Amino acid sequence: MSACIDLYDVRCTLAGRTVLDIERLVVGEGERIAIVGHNGAGKSTLLRVLSGFTRPTAGQVSVLGLRLDASLPPARLRALRREAGQVLQGLHLVPRLSALENVLIGSLGRVTGWRSWVRRYPAHEYERARAALGTVGMLDQASMRTDGLSGGERQKVAIARLLVQGPRLILADEPTAALDPSAAQEICRVLCTATAGATLVSVVHNTALLPRLADRVIGLRQGQVVFDLAQSQVDAAQLAALYLGPSIAAHDRADAHLKRRQLPCLQPDAPAG
Amino acid sequence: MSLAPPSLSVRPLLRGRAGFLALVLVYALLVAACLGTLAREGELSLGRSPIANLMKTAGEFARPSVLDVWFGNPNLEYRSDDGTLLRVENRQAVERAWLEGLGRATWTTIRIATLGSLLGALLALPLAVLTARNLAAPRPLAWGAKAVLDTSRSIHTLVFGLVLVGIVGLGPTAGILAIGLHSTGTYGKLFAEAIESLDMAAIEAVRSVGAGPAQVFFNAVWPTVLPQFVSSHLYIWEFNIRDSTILGLIGAGGLGLLITEATALFQWGRLATVLIVIVVMVSGFDAISRRIRQALA
Repeated sequence: MSACIDLYDVRCTLAGRTVLDIERLVVGEGERIAIVGHNGAGKSTLLRVLSGFTRPTAGQVSVLGLRLDASLPPARLRALRREAGQVLQGLHLVPRLSALENVLIGSLGRVTGWRSWVRRYPAHEYERARAALGTVGMLDQASMRTDGLSGGERQKVAIARLLVQGPRLILADEPTAALDPSAAQEICRVLCTATAGATLVSVVHNTALLPRLADRVIGLRQGQVVFDLAQSQVDAAQLAALYLGPSIAAHDRADAHLKRRQLPCLQPDAPAG
Repeated sequence: MSLAPPSLSVRPLLRGRAGFLALVLVYALLVAACLGTLAREGELSLGRSPIANLMKTAGEFARPSVLDVWFGNPNLEYRSDDGTLLRVENRQAVERAWLEGLGRATWTTIRIATLGSLLGALLALPLAVLTARNLAAPRPLAWGAKAVLDTSRSIHTLVFGLVLVGIVGLGPTAGILAIGLHSTGTYGKLFAEAIESLDMAAIEAVRSVGAGPAQVFFNAVWPTVLPQFVSSHLYIWEFNIRDSTILGLIGAGGLGLLITEATALFQWGRLATVLIVIVVMVSGFDAISRRIRQALA
């Protein structure tokens, strides 16, 4: 098995509008992909298609060797989700449970029956969860309820849950959204250690983080793949064209300094990771 | 042309300062109409000698009957007009016996409120599940459940009590059923709101690790909804303790019976004792329930 993700002629239509239209997209095992594009370009839809939360209107999707279509039994889909971990924009925790209990949710794929109903996990899962919290530096806040944590702390809890889940594929939807630059760097570092060895597909808005999170960058606009390049080949002009549209990028040379400020990683003196 | 019925959209009329002023004017007119019509019908009188009556009642209230247990006359003689001794009464013993009755009545009131609240909560739970919008129950079922809840909320406990005394007879059973039926409406509304405020992100978080439906329920839905249910339950229970003190008025048992008795015999001292018990009981329960609800928030 070589391809971790294989999309063939996938289209998603929502209320008459095509939000995703991908001819072919193959992601190999262990690759690290970043998806970039402006709001509404279809990035989140793509991730939801990969996790099986959104079913495409047409086309073939296979993830980890499993074809996602209408005939897929729910149990198989759940089995897939155990292998495909997700980090979403920090709100993806159960607010009334403690950080530790949220991390233990990652083990629900292995813990079944009444134990998972009354949240009595086996001792080794507790150890694993504590170790995961330690890895992300949140052991001191283990017993705090997650609605009392800051945005960055919540994101770390979500990453610790990912560590406990131990998936082969990780789908990260804007893992650094709503975080200040230093927290974003920190989260990226933690995410990279947590995901070492796994396939990582992340949606990234802060292009400064591209070098840390990805080997390959895919640009989406209006649901279509605009470019698909190795990270080292992506430059400011391409990103500017993607975000602002080609005509504007061509004409607005006067605003070049502004664009450079938006894309600090692409300045020659920027500290790229 | 808009298809929406125009009568439903009062919003544009009330927008802005002029709209608010109009609202205030309408309210002022309503208050004036209420006062004016009552005054013209001669119904706004305070009686013949309100001040003297107030002083008299206040004086009697100021000496609650409970004091007689210690300070009452142990040898009170009742004589007829010509001076013959009719009987001798030990006020202390009489009041002590009455206090025991008061204790039993208080316990009955608490039992009525507790069991009635539980009954209401149990009846409301399925109805709340049907009416919660995010669970999308079949429309006719949801409307039916909502109609039941609205009806039970709009009929007062006393009205339920009067009807039920006729059906199950005098006593606490009628009180329990009356409290239960009336509070079903309030419980249903609060439970439905708790279910509607469910955090879909939390549910998706648990689903995203591949959890099954039961695991999602116990790990995301239950921990979110349960504290809110408990909190609403305590709140309405507390309210029902207050509500059930009056039920004895219609023969449904409890403290209300002693209130009727005391007012019928103009024993304001005894009424004062009953009221003291009610205030202590209600504020005590209030304090406990508030603490628990804060801890659960």
